[in-house]
Amino acid sequence: MSGIPVIGIPRAMLYYRYGLLWERFFETLGVSTILSSPGNREILDTGAARAPDEGCLAVKMFMGHVESLIGRCERIFIPRYSNYGTTALFCTRYEALYDGARNIFRTSGQRFITCNIDAQNGSPEPKAFERFGVELGFSPKESHRAWKEASRALEQQKKAEEQAQKEMIRNPGIKVLVAGHSYVLSDPYLGKPILDYLISSEAICLRTDALEEETSRRACAQFSPTCRWIVSEEVVGAVLLWKDRVDGIVLVSAFPCGPDSMTNELLIRRIRGVPVLTLNLDTQSGMAGVETRLESFLDIIRFQRGEMV
Amino acid sequence: MAENAFLGIDVGSISTKAVIIDESNTILAQEYIWTEGNPIGAVKRLLGHLEKQFDRTAWQIVGVGATGSARRLVGSIVGATVVKNEITAHAVGTTTFHPEVRTILEIGGQDSKIILVENGIAVDYAMNTLCAAGTGAFLTSQARRLGIEVEEMGAYALRSSHPTMIAARCTVFAESDLVHKIQMGHPREDIIAGVCRAVVSNYINNVGKGKKICSPVVFQGGVSKNEGVVRAFEDLLKCPVLVDEIGHLMGAMGAAILARRSLKRTVFDFSVGNMDFITRERSCGGCSNNCEVICVYRDGKMIDFWGNRCERGAAKLGGELSENSRG
Repeated sequence: MSGIPVIGIPRAMLYYRYGLLWERFFETLGVSTILSSPGNREILDTGAARAPDEGCLAVKMFMGHVESLIGRCERIFIPRYSNYGTTALFCTRYEALYDGARNIFRTSGQRFITCNIDAQNGSPEPKAFERFGVELGFSPKESHRAWKEASRALEQQKKAEEQAQKEMIRNPGIKVLVAGHSYVLSDPYLGKPILDYLISSEAICLRTDALEEETSRRACAQFSPTCRWIVSEEVVGAVLLWKDRVDGIVLVSAFPCGPDSMTNELLIRRIRGVPVLTLNLDTQSGMAGVETRLESFLDIIRFQRGEMV
Repeated sequence: MAENAFLGIDVGSISTKAVIIDESNTILAQEYIWTEGNPIGAVKRLLGHLEKQFDRTAWQIVGVGATGSARRLVGSIVGATVVKNEITAHAVGTTTFHPEVRTILEIGGQDSKIILVENGIAVDYAMNTLCAAGTGAFLTSQARRLGIEVEEMGAYALRSSHPTMIAARCTVFAESDLVHKIQMGHPREDIIAGVCRAVVSNYINNVGKGKKICSPVVFQGGVSKNEGVVRAFEDLLKCPVLVDEIGHLMGAMGAAILARRSLKRTVFDFSVGNMDFITRERSCGGCSNNCEVICVYRDGKMIDFWGNRCERGAAKLGGELSENSRG
């Protein structure tokens, strides 16, 4: 063996949704891994230089993470998340990540490995990870057990997050629901400065991705039966479920996100009675524009609560 | 005994505004000049103008509010007691003078915003997102293309009875559409009226998207001085649009009112106008983000910095700052 980790995991995109599942899966099987560094300007810049021009900011960030792992692991792990059945689809960008990265970095000599989650074509998540484990050299049984354990860990984490959020919402302070993809909200360079700003301004930050996914998706189905992507349904559903319990909603989007461009429009036009702020993040540096908008948004909320100024 | 007065400064991308008010919001001095890409120089000139209008034996400035896109920079130079974003400043200023207002439209040099008000309290707002489509900067460049001054646009537009249709979605497209219409031979009045209309429909479809615009409507910002745009708003919104005679000063007014309401009191004198200020951009280098940190120096000593995303930058430059404040 070469002595470098077997698997490299880019800390971007669906890592912020399924990262625990992947890490626990590899850990249970005893496969060594390396995780790329938290997102920063340098990673985004290298990614933007390599990613397709029309890709969203998150995809650009992702490609930067992939590049940072080249030569530092035997294979870079890029799962292909397509669907969980005919009514549970993922954005096509996620589907394309594996092929895209392989093509972009084709001259690097780096090897890649995927795990194909495509329930519509006979590869639902359990099956997909079983096959993936076999490809890594484990038996179907070992692989299945590892997936099961990983899956349970992720479920527990989700429950704990939702519980924590339910406790936060009882707090009397200013509550702001931040809506968006986990890979935008959690990324230390993209969305996290927004959450940090809100918290430092003494607002209580709630997140749409901390709610149980099925509950959110059911709420969305009644509101918009044709909403197409799983994550969009979750964001819309969570906004609907919590809009009356918060003082304001911030829609955070990585430009140009196709799904968000539809759902944010829908939310802006249909949500009444609570201030909504839209923030589109692009490659511009500096937080000045974002801070102006957040500061004034919080002022508006304070005006309404009679706490001003 | 000198009575209390409050200074409000609004430094925007295109223009720099200031007012001095007394305890009952009466204007004691006011000024409106171009920023000309030099906010520090603009503020110094501004202070020079104000000083001449202002009776320093009768009044004493005890609070300073700064707003506008250069509020941080200007705030640290003049030692502002309140630094507030321009949306809040405009909302405070406008609701003070027009308590019945329901909708505030604002189009400035680079930004446009809408503020919705209920019972004198701002309840929702929106601001242009990534692009500066349909703001004052666009009107200025189109006026230049048509060979007229931007100030003349309104008068031209009002003479038109058939405004030319100009694509309003994006100013890049609007511009090529405009060139096409010029070459086709549309009269200049109609084209100018069309541009005003394009600005308004762009505003309503983008900034005003999904917002319920209720009357009374107040329109301010530099573009509100263009009667063609005012007319286009009235046509499209089907309600009267009020342009306050001090509408262009509302941000500065709001900043002054916020300084008055705040409990912080510091006597301000006009001597900062004679001090030497420079700014320098420094790459932090503390981590891979390599933040562009702006440092402000007064007479060679750093007085403030910002732009760092994390504490590493603060630790690095903060040491230098505290050393200076001791020295």
